[in-house]
Amino acid sequence: MMFYTEYDEISRADYAAAAYILTDCCKRFPSYSELSKRLAELYDASLNSSTSLGTWDKRCTSVRASILADRYALEGEKLEEEMCGLLCECVLNPNADNGAFDEQVTALMRSELIDTIDSVINDKAAYAAQNAARTAFVGEPQALSPNGTHEQAEKVTPQSAYKAYRKILETAHIEIMCAGSSDFSAAETIFTRSFSVNNGIMRHDICQTSIIPSPLKSEPVYVSDTMPMEQAIVRMYFKAPDVSDKYANIMFVMILGGMTMSRFFRNIREKQSLCYYCAATGSFYKKYLCAYAGVQPQNIKRTQDAILSEINDIVENGVSDEDISAALLEIHNTLTTLYDSANAIGNWYLNRLPDNEITTPEQYWEEIQKVTSGRIQAVAEQYKLDTVYTLSGGDGE
Amino acid sequence: MTEKIYSDVIKETCIKYLHKSGVTVYMLPMAGYSSAVAQFSTKFGSEDNSFSVNGGAFQKVPDGTAHYLEHKLFESEEKDAFSLFAQTGAACNAGTSFDYTQYYFSCTDNFRKNLEILLSFVQDPYFTPENVEKERGIIGQEITMYRDNPSWRVFTNLLEGLYSVNPVRNDIAGTVESIAEITDKTLYDCYNAYYNPANMFLCVAGNFNPDEVIAVCEEKLKSREPLDVKTADFDEPIEVNKKRVEYSMPIAKPLFEIGFKRAYKGGQSEVDDYIYFNILFDIMFGGTSEFFTEMRDRGLVNEEFSDGVFSGRGHLFPFVRGESPDPDAVAEEVRKTIRKFKSAPPEKSEFERIKRMTYGALVRDFGSVASVADTISEAALAGINPFSVINTAAGAEYGKMLEMLANLDEDNMCISIIKGEDK
Repeated sequence: MMFYTEYDEISRADYAAAAYILTDCCKRFPSYSELSKRLAELYDASLNSSTSLGTWDKRCTSVRASILADRYALEGEKLEEEMCGLLCECVLNPNADNGAFDEQVTALMRSELIDTIDSVINDKAAYAAQNAARTAFVGEPQALSPNGTHEQAEKVTPQSAYKAYRKILETAHIEIMCAGSSDFSAAETIFTRSFSVNNGIMRHDICQTSIIPSPLKSEPVYVSDTMPMEQAIVRMYFKAPDVSDKYANIMFVMILGGMTMSRFFRNIREKQSLCYYCAATGSFYKKYLCAYAGVQPQNIKRTQDAILSEINDIVENGVSDEDISAALLEIHNTLTTLYDSANAIGNWYLNRLPDNEITTPEQYWEEIQKVTSGRIQAVAEQYKLDTVYTLSGGDGE
Repeated sequence: MTEKIYSDVIKETCIKYLHKSGVTVYMLPMAGYSSAVAQFSTKFGSEDNSFSVNGGAFQKVPDGTAHYLEHKLFESEEKDAFSLFAQTGAACNAGTSFDYTQYYFSCTDNFRKNLEILLSFVQDPYFTPENVEKERGIIGQEITMYRDNPSWRVFTNLLEGLYSVNPVRNDIAGTVESIAEITDKTLYDCYNAYYNPANMFLCVAGNFNPDEVIAVCEEKLKSREPLDVKTADFDEPIEVNKKRVEYSMPIAKPLFEIGFKRAYKGGQSEVDDYIYFNILFDIMFGGTSEFFTEMRDRGLVNEEFSDGVFSGRGHLFPFVRGESPDPDAVAEEVRKTIRKFKSAPPEKSEFERIKRMTYGALVRDFGSVASVADTISEAALAGINPFSVINTAAGAEYGKMLEMLANLDEDNMCISIIKGEDK
């Protein structure tokens, strides 16, 4: 279940804490231990929640459950039915009374939320991404961690988290996705029944889903951070606020740094031996791409130049037939593999939500095959350097 | 010659085929799936750092050689393996562990062609002084990336603390210094010894035709003269090397990992111990345990806390790990909990609940093509039935777990701690 709500900066930690509380316990299983015991009985079923920045510049509070298909139950239990019921209980009947979550549970979640916020430093790549986003997306939701700050998390109370929870139920744009080995008739019945009950939730001001391209800065901004570490991390953001050719954009990012034999891999890693990884990612909806690499501190400048050179080469010369063919083959492999994983096919459709029309993997395949080198070149021309971020031990260039 | 291995528990059949070259092939076709995964593995990992061939003198190789060789095997005189797979659309990669190296692809189309590429490039090494040198910088970067990763550091430091001589205590990728000694000759020596067909396994899962796999094996697998390759033995003491290892790097909250050393027995005993330790540690320290609830309420652990069993050729130990403001206090509570369970063992109902959870997690693995390929490869490399682990989990007995608990030495443990330092 995905709940999309407006992304206000101040309440970030309240929403994050509310999400964690929902899958830590519920009215019927009022502690983590009791809920976990029930999940263990259900053959290691899983129930988890998170807060992230959804595809639409909105906060996405997701609550996910997964369980074995009924046919694997050793004693004929109706596992899907059980799990969907439990998921609804957690979302609609949490461990709360009188406008507040349980005091002890909230204290625990507050403490763990603080740990989560602080521990981003443990993962250098994630730490670099978080810091870089502050500059790359200044003034936009992407600049802010969905979990909020340490200081905000310290102020979370049972009342403030509950208030955020209620706002989620009252104002969220809600998407429910089921995927896996079932016709989900049991799930549909339970979800329909649970959300039809008059549980005192007054729906109003439903979150309007829309997305605004990230604006390009007038001049590129350069930021460097240091911390004790052996490797350096480079992140370069490029933006194209007016880019409109979605499929050519996808192919451009992929050929540049999103596939096994990408330009970055072939030329920056394999030919120049500059790094262990150098890749690109991006969002067509936000109209940006990010090139990132882990390098020796003395190679920061060379790597940045090499990344720029690869983009310029596509701008000037387009891409080869081999590039297009390799990208299409890899895309086809990915699309057909989607049907082997419930998570993968579920995520496919969630990621398509910002489109006016939901495309199937087959429709997507039809469109992407039409992309030409000229269209990719036209997309590449629109991308301009916006932000350059480096994190290093401080001994680099 | 093929043999069918059936699991009554999971209702799946795995086909075993011994190729005349000596390569053992395991195949598990999965109806209703689009993709197939093939993994070609050799029993050559970072632990195999000293070996003899046909009774000759032992040859010591630098730490990180197996991993270096894995990187270089993708290269050939003409087109490297990545380029060849790019022409078929398969996702390919490789990985080196402590006790094996594996090359694999995942595809939905061109399965036969992909399998031909996989078998060909792994059997066709091309190492030159120049291409070996070119890779040194890339691998050096990989090494430093892992050195900056506190979760990896806390784990590798634990291995150093638990083991005195077992080569599992050495980092898989080696060090920047050790890889500086690797040459094309080092790689060829190791390749010729350990990439001998009798030391290799091909495991395939998903959407494929077993007859096609056999046909490609017949066509592509090369026979070589069998070699008697021995990795140097070591005499690992039963006691831990160090009780405590501490290291500092920039992190938010101290990380810890606690391992309990026990004697390695090999074979089915390791499968039993793997399952029973998993169940036992989940009962004592898992999400449903009193220990976890109490420690979490006291703020000594958080949701990152977990337990598990680390296993491979020559090593197996149960562990707990997590973040804590006071890892030593957690270690003391862990020891106390084990003692408490020894004097008042868990109820059978609790055992049944956790056994069901363990079984469920293993069944779930059989819903993913990649996980099935991993499962049968791991079994093949360990020399056990592909369904041994899940069969053992489904048939686990309460009494055997109690025996395991009675024999667990809670004092023969090491704690590895990573503490923060100022930015």
